Amino acid sequence: MDTNDKGVRKIVDMITGFARSNSLFMLAYGTGCGDIEIPPAMTSRYDWERFGYRKMATPRQADVLLISGYLATKTLKRVIRSYEQMQEPKYVVAFGSCTINGGMYWDSYNTIKMLDHYIPVDVYINGCMPRPEAVMSGLFDLQEQIKKGEANGAQKYRENLEWYRGNQKKVIKNWVMPEYNW
Amino acid sequence: MEDILKLLGGAAATMLLAFVVGATYGGLVRKIIARTQNRVGPPWYQNFVDISKLYMKDTAVHHGVMQHIGPAFAITASVTVLMFVPVLREGGWFPWFENLNFKGDIIFLIYMMVFGSLGMALGIGQTGNPNASIGVSRGLSMMVGYEIPFVLSLVSVMVQTHTTSITGLMEWQTQNGWLMFEAPFAFITMLLAILGMFHYAPFDIAHAPSEIASGPPSEFGGKYLAMMMTSGSIFAFAKLVFLVDVFMNGASNLVMLVVKTLLLYMVPVLYGAVSPRYRTEQAIRYLWGWPVFFGIIALIYSIYI
Amino acid sequence: MTTENNNLEREEAVVVALKATFPDLTARVKRIRRVEASVSKALTPSVLVHAKNVLGYKALSHISCVDWIEDEHFELVYILWNPDEKIQLLIKTLISRENATMENIDTIWRQANTYQREMREMFGIEFPGFVGAKEFLLEDWDDMPPMRRDFDTKEFVKEAFFLRPGREDAKDVRDTIAKRSKEEIPEFAKKYSREK
Repeated sequence: MDTNDKGVRKIVDMITGFARSNSLFMLAYGTGCGDIEIPPAMTSRYDWERFGYRKMATPRQADVLLISGYLATKTLKRVIRSYEQMQEPKYVVAFGSCTINGGMYWDSYNTIKMLDHYIPVDVYINGCMPRPEAVMSGLFDLQEQIKKGEANGAQKYRENLEWYRGNQKKVIKNWVMPEYNW
Repeated sequence: MEDILKLLGGAAATMLLAFVVGATYGGLVRKIIARTQNRVGPPWYQNFVDISKLYMKDTAVHHGVMQHIGPAFAITASVTVLMFVPVLREGGWFPWFENLNFKGDIIFLIYMMVFGSLGMALGIGQTGNPNASIGVSRGLSMMVGYEIPFVLSLVSVMVQTHTTSITGLMEWQTQNGWLMFEAPFAFITMLLAILGMFHYAPFDIAHAPSEIASGPPSEFGGKYLAMMMTSGSIFAFAKLVFLVDVFMNGASNLVMLVVKTLLLYMVPVLYGAVSPRYRTEQAIRYLWGWPVFFGIIALIYSIYI
Repeated sequence: MTTENNNLEREEAVVVALKATFPDLTARVKRIRRVEASVSKALTPSVLVHAKNVLGYKALSHISCVDWIEDEHFELVYILWNPDEKIQLLIKTLISRENATMENIDTIWRQANTYQREMREMFGIEFPGFVGAKEFLLEDWDDMPPMRRDFDTKEFVKEAFFLRPGREDAKDVRDTIAKRSKEEIPEFAKKYSREK
């Protein structure tokens, strides 16, 4: 069977897209105040397990890194490490205006303002804080992107690693981290 | 030659059946737990989607050779256990496949059921993740807890029926009635032991997600996690069929098998859905309390009946 | 408690007791169940020990620091609590802003360790003889201690981080909404407007 055949490719893409988009494992790592929006989204009120979303405890098993709120430079270091430990395909969903432009921490000395300069972000959800509906709507967007094959943040990160590393090292001065191995 | 091919075909078909039924049960369990928590829950086929996605994920973690062999050990043990358990009563469920039963296979299975966990423990030891090591030590301590009532129950059944093979047990049950009623104390012991065996709450401290980052599998992602989920599905099915064979005289067709195994499976699942979590020493105290008491009663009962 | 609102006898007794031992100190009753005392830097440890061992202020609630940049000193406020009498005692002391040092008191209260670490990091106050991990909240900080008032946060942020262009900060919300919906702002509210 010719695996490069257009029809075969299409069917394979459809199956992978379906499986990947309908089984999103989130990394349960709450960075800021936004993590308080996750319990209502998980439990009986909004119940995101309906869509196959699930919270995993370790980055090795997760597909989606939820950045829930502001990131202090200290937290950013841990986020980068978690992100690099995740296995591809991996996606980043950032929510709260803090991750977009700093939000109410726009002049804080210890909080980064634009997350997409440090790790690639697939979906931004604005609001301070976004309600669980907004979070889930953002995740639906991510599902659509995965189905279309557009959620390629990890690829972007791999290709522009030097630029991202430069930005990261500008904030994290004492860089004692293991090398990124794929 | 033809015999070997038939055997291999039958084995493959049995594995497929075990995987499909086990994974469906896993999805149903998630649904049932969701319903008890007043949620809708994932669709019943969610486990298949999860497993297929995990098989499609990259796995670029390398800690050592044993890390790669560990999940293989687990799946080997599950399949081996499955191969020795008669799926249906008369001859087998697949037209020309007979199980690999032999005299004394219950004793063999008691050992074999531990093998997968021990293999996983070896693999986990090499990852060097402290959370995983804590999880392993908790899981193995818990195993010491539930193995004793489990073995007591099976030994009393073997003493009562004077046989150590599963087919022998089923023949005995066809003549004398289900062991569930003939050896009631052994059955009660087994019911209490499988609460611990299936690792649902309250005996799920080995896998506590927010405490020790899901414990043993915390360093295994992608294909390894998929392998562990596959192995878990097969193992759950094998265990259930084994228990149905021992206490309910097996099943004559697949529908009866599903009904019986599901009924038995609901005991740990429903008990777990409404339970909080025991610490390790609490769990062991529980499992060495009433279950062992009933196990000893069962042993005495089986000797003097 | 409401019945003894005007009865400040117990608080005044604390002031008298403090003054009897330390004549140099100025103390006053702030309000019910709160007494304030200003002490010189050299006397502070002995006042704290006296308050703890004799007057019964067993608990150190907090040590806070105020940066009086115009007067060129820091003010340290030791907040003590007497669990028996339910009175709060604030002991204030002024230290120089240049090469700020203060006596280490984590031998009196162990929890002072945490507060002193915070002050060392956020204000740059040194505590001679004080043992504690160097870093507290910040990581790899090599600039001026950030809670000092001469630390220009805005400049620092512009240099250290990326700011997304297009955001308009320090805008008066009321003005913006009024402009958008063509609404009249009442006369008395105009003097609070930020847009002169």
